[in-house]
Amino acid sequence: MSEIAVEVRGLVKSYEGGRIRALRGADLKVARGEFVALMGPSGCGKSTLLHVIAALDRPDAGHVHVMGVDTDAVRDLSAYRARTVGLVFQLHNLLPALTASENVQVPMFETGTGRRERRRRADDLLALVGLADRTHNRPGELSGGERQRVAIARALANDPPVLLADEPTGSLDSKAGGRVMDLIERLRTERGLTVLLVTHDPGVAARADRTVHMLDGRVLAPAAVPNVPLALPVMPS
Amino acid sequence: MTFGALILKNLLRHRVRTLLTAVGIAIGIMTVIALGAVATGARQAAGGMLQSGGSDLLVAQKGASDLTFSSMPTRQAARLDRRGDVAWAHPVLLDVSKVGSNPYFVAFGMRLADLAEAPPPLVAGRVPRRADQVLLGDRGARDLGVGVGGTVEIQRTRFRVAGLFHVGTTWQDGGAYVPLVSLQRAARKPGVVTGAYVRVAAGRDAGAVGEAIEAADPQLVAIADVDDMAEVDQGIEAIDGLNLAISLLAVGIGAIGVMNTMVMSVFERTREIGILRAVGWRGRRVVRMIVGESIAVCLIAFVVGLGLGALATEAVTLVPAIGAVLEPAYTVAVMVRALVVALVVALVGAAYPAIRAARLLPMEALRHE
Ligand SMILES: Nc1ncnc2c1ncn2[C@@H]1O[C@H](COP(=O)(O)OP(=O)(O)OP(=O)(O)O)[C@@H](O)[C@H]1O
Ligand SMILES: [Mg+2]
Repeated sequence: MSEIAVEVRGLVKSYEGGRIRALRGADLKVARGEFVALMGPSGCGKSTLLHVIAALDRPDAGHVHVMGVDTDAVRDLSAYRARTVGLVFQLHNLLPALTASENVQVPMFETGTGRRERRRRADDLLALVGLADRTHNRPGELSGGERQRVAIARALANDPPVLLADEPTGSLDSKAGGRVMDLIERLRTERGLTVLLVTHDPGVAARADRTVHMLDGRVLAPAAVPNVPLALPVMPS
Repeated sequence: MTFGALILKNLLRHRVRTLLTAVGIAIGIMTVIALGAVATGARQAAGGMLQSGGSDLLVAQKGASDLTFSSMPTRQAARLDRRGDVAWAHPVLLDVSKVGSNPYFVAFGMRLADLAEAPPPLVAGRVPRRADQVLLGDRGARDLGVGVGGTVEIQRTRFRVAGLFHVGTTWQDGGAYVPLVSLQRAARKPGVVTGAYVRVAAGRDAGAVGEAIEAADPQLVAIADVDDMAEVDQGIEAIDGLNLAISLLAVGIGAIGVMNTMVMSVFERTREIGILRAVGWRGRRVVRMIVGESIAVCLIAFVVGLGLGALATEAVTLVPAIGAVLEPAYTVAVMVRALVVALVVALVGAAYPAIRAARLLPMEALRHE
């Protein structure tokens, strides 16, 4: 397998019959084990890009290759969604009727994991994100930061090599956001995850290996932006 | 958490809605059970009429809309035993009248000699030997409060009870065997009978003999079992038809109720279904979840409907006109029919919302407000 974990070429996606062009030929490469932050003004297509990479939506044109899988060539992308990419949404998107542990187990139904094994792995993952004592609570009984950590545990349910995160700290205060980022960094080193993370927060982006900028549905060439953030306050880690 | 537990959790989120849906279907199931038990009881009762004292066939007039409308001369019925393939032929006159509180008291008019040759199973006394004696069913005796030696009045004629019989069919045990000539006189049908009970000669096939009898006289029909009964009695067909129609109606109404609930519940959860798809659930698993929920509701409805059905049937048989004629029969076939109705309702009701939900792209579902 190549050293490239995620490769996106000429991605085009429009809405409302072409009136809204969310992606206009986006290109992106993320190496294996790399942690890339994706920044850009609101509405430039960051979420759309992540959703297309996660195969939640089909692009109008262009190609997505993730860990050797050409998403265009696969008819049923369920297995890809279950095993290859883990997605943390802008909003946590947990199932309200299920406990934290059950939410983490949901993706495991598709991968032939036995009942006890599902339970054990969910509890392990929740321990990993620091929620060992909240496994039986429902999302409504958890704080925003805790929910986002449950969502991260769910994204890792089937041990995917790639983690896609859409503003995972966007709705959190700096302390809770800091904990979530600590977690993502730790998981990345411990598990060798490839991480593509959307953020508006330069402090969050500073933790990444590399920051990629988007504008008007395109990814800007690396030369167009300095890798080091401008003179913006960097959050202490 | 198992898949089944997930399904139950989804149902428990809207307890009232689940319960109301189940009750709606349960009422349909109740109808299917009650009607099925009554119709089966009616069939069994009708079947009982086809046999007496070890006969193989009932020969009657072809084309009668009701067996009691069949008629032929006594001599013609009696002559059947001259055939080589017939062991005996006993002319019988079926006469229905109100006796005591029973509006459908059935009197079987038979010749005394025939009754002595092939009597129904006796439980007390003995077979009548005189024109003013009858053999009363044990249930009729109970209803009328008489025993052996007592009197009954049939068609304004008084008879003395010579013995009691029990064959096991409600309406027969509620009636009586009456000497033929006496009954013909009492019912003002002199020289006329309904048909004849026929026993075929040893070694002969009842079906073949029946066909031979029909071939010899196109006016006659020979009935061996309930399924042939339509030839002389439209009642059975009417009941079967009604039964089928109401089952279909129950399926239709139930399915629309379930579909309504499932459409609503799936529509509300469109976003959640988007999440399930986003984390890798195949469309097929979403379908299984939704259909599973629907089946669970319908199984609850089935169990509740069984209970309600039994209650409804008992209530129906409290009506004297029905209770006197038949006993509801809760056969396995009736239960299976109700279960099939429940499952068909579940599948039909869930199919549309399930397939619609599974077809959505995850993002389409997630964007749903
Ligand atoms: N379903 C949709 N229908 C119509 N337009 C859409 C739809 N989804 C996204 N868009 C539009 O596509 C463009 C890109 O949206 P996207 O959500 O990718 O932006 P974003 O970069 O994630 O913004 P933000 O930082 O605010 O989250 C926006 O103009 C948005 O309004
Ligand atoms: Mg966004």
